[in-house]
Amino acid sequence: MTDASRSPEPMIRLESLTKRYPGQAVPAVDGITLDIPKGEIVVLVGPSGCGKTTVLKMINRLIEPTSGRVLIGGEDVTRADADELRRHIGYVIQQIGLFPHMTVAENVGMVPKLLHWEKQRIAARVDELLELVGLDPAEYRDRYPKELSGGQRQRVGVARALGADPPVMLMDEPFGAIDPITRDRLQNEFLRIQADVRKTIVFVTHDIDEAIKMGDRIAILREQSHIAQYDTPEAILTAPADGFVEDFIGAGAALKRLNLTRVREVPLDHWPAASVHEDRARLRRLLAESEQGSLLLLDEEDRPLRWVTARDLAREREPLHRVGLPATAVVEPHATLHDALDEMVTSTVGCAIVVDRRGRYQGVVDLGTVTSAIDEMRSDVRRRDRAVAEAEAAPGDAVGEVG
Amino acid sequence: MTAPTVDRGGDVAGAGDALAAEELVEELGGPSPLWRWVGTPVVLAGVCAALYVYVQGQDLDRIEEAALNAPMIRQRVLEHLELTAVSTFFVIVIAVPLGMLVTRPATRRLAPAVLAVANVGQSIPSIGILVLLAVVVGIGFEQAITALVLYAVLPVLRNTMVGLDQVDRSLIEAGRGMGMTARQVLLRIELPLAVPVMLAGIRTALVINVGTAALATFIGAGGLGWIINQGNIHDRTPVLVTGSVLTAVVALALDWIAGIVEDLLRPKGT
Repeated sequence: MTDASRSPEPMIRLESLTKRYPGQAVPAVDGITLDIPKGEIVVLVGPSGCGKTTVLKMINRLIEPTSGRVLIGGEDVTRADADELRRHIGYVIQQIGLFPHMTVAENVGMVPKLLHWEKQRIAARVDELLELVGLDPAEYRDRYPKELSGGQRQRVGVARALGADPPVMLMDEPFGAIDPITRDRLQNEFLRIQADVRKTIVFVTHDIDEAIKMGDRIAILREQSHIAQYDTPEAILTAPADGFVEDFIGAGAALKRLNLTRVREVPLDHWPAASVHEDRARLRRLLAESEQGSLLLLDEEDRPLRWVTARDLAREREPLHRVGLPATAVVEPHATLHDALDEMVTSTVGCAIVVDRRGRYQGVVDLGTVTSAIDEMRSDVRRRDRAVAEAEAAPGDAVGEVG
Repeated sequence: MTAPTVDRGGDVAGAGDALAAEELVEELGGPSPLWRWVGTPVVLAGVCAALYVYVQGQDLDRIEEAALNAPMIRQRVLEHLELTAVSTFFVIVIAVPLGMLVTRPATRRLAPAVLAVANVGQSIPSIGILVLLAVVVGIGFEQAITALVLYAVLPVLRNTMVGLDQVDRSLIEAGRGMGMTARQVLLRIELPLAVPVMLAGIRTALVINVGTAALATFIGAGGLGWIINQGNIHDRTPVLVTGSVLTAVVALALDWIAGIVEDLLRPKGT
């Protein structure tokens, strides 16, 4: 197996962490050893009963390990004061657990209060955090949890976990109880927040798709939390370590890989495009010069408007903004290739139009872009694996290479 | 007189019933909170006025006058209130901490034993406890209080336990997970959220105590039971009626106060 954790400073290190419950023949967690690099999201994923939540709760010692050690920032926390320890580790659970008799502000300000911050500092921090998770402080500060929607509660839960700006966060299926559409949005929002705050996060889920989406690295656990594979999502999807991992990823690994690449990371193709206010003769010439059968018309602010063919241009009597087909299948740069592919198959011309945040035309993504992105990912992982194999083989050269 | 029905073995005294009744009343478009707050005292004042008019209209003999004069009635009402207040105070002081104790993980296994004792206290008829105490330790105020406390501990104990147990486990996990100590979780999360159920138990205990205090006269502790008993042994209807009606009025008035306290102490946001 490849050792993916070659990052210089692991923020969290689990050393042969074991949990044995009295009266049970086999340990619930059997000596897991794992390095979690600083500023990354590491997802523990596995079938139910594999002990992933137990591993998580041993990090903040809601469950006391039977043996082994947890190091956070190089410090052994297995002997530290558990309550004090937890005040410096953000914790988000599936049920969220907002205190119903406290306002949003009281919930979010709870940990700072436990740390005896001054009132004004707490109030400022609460507002800052609500802003961060996209809730207007003036509107939501004094609400009670029951006056919030499920998605808003989840955001408050995240804000609360970030309360005292802990370097480490533990998240136990945080988006598990939320409808798929809201979940998708919250996941994206959370990734945006993480890009700013750069916490070291251990994230537990049973959903491999969520793991692929959220994780910088994924540890796939089998029973008793034995690590089946610990690697980047790309590597796991491209080169599953064994049959267990393959089964767990399930069908469609190639399609899942498309979730890993964003439109902004691939080279865009250029399609002949022109303003809808150009005169028709020029548009016809433009179309004739290109290899494509149609032209993309843009409005005065460069936003995609219509697809038109030579035949559409010939219909002189109709204004240009009414001929041809509407320019659908529009994606923004932060969309994944999976999203783009989805749009592509519904599009009339077989490609997705990429626009910037203001909706201005940037280029297009077609099937060729998608295939080459997959190829590149595959060869990247192969190249890396080869480099690792060579590095491992190097010291043993004298002994190993006989013939 | 009010006769609170307390399920001896099983259910939470009061809590479920009170909630269900409130919901039912609301559904039927019954009295608004304002009317509940104002209506009861108006009705009770009316009853007292009617009682006064009735007694004034009677031609009282010496025996009746001995029982039905202002200083005597005031004394008996105060005795009754004292019996009720002191016994309820001790019920709370005993049952609430006990309920907290037997819901802590470390001492949870004591719960069945504690409940068994409290159940015995309630199962013996109150008059039985009173007489038993009188025989064993004599008569008087303290004995009456002891009997009342024994009799009313169960609803408060049980409701404290249920109130604390019904707090969502995920809230406790969230609290511990963010670094609250077990004590902080109890004081800031569990207790505030258990308050409505606990108060329902205390209200039940209060009503039980008002009723049972009427029996305290049999071991020489006075109270409104004395007036009722006078009416009974001398066969004087006005005395009997006055004692009974006043007992009912005191019971309803205390229940009304307890209801207001419940409304005021219900945690916000729930």
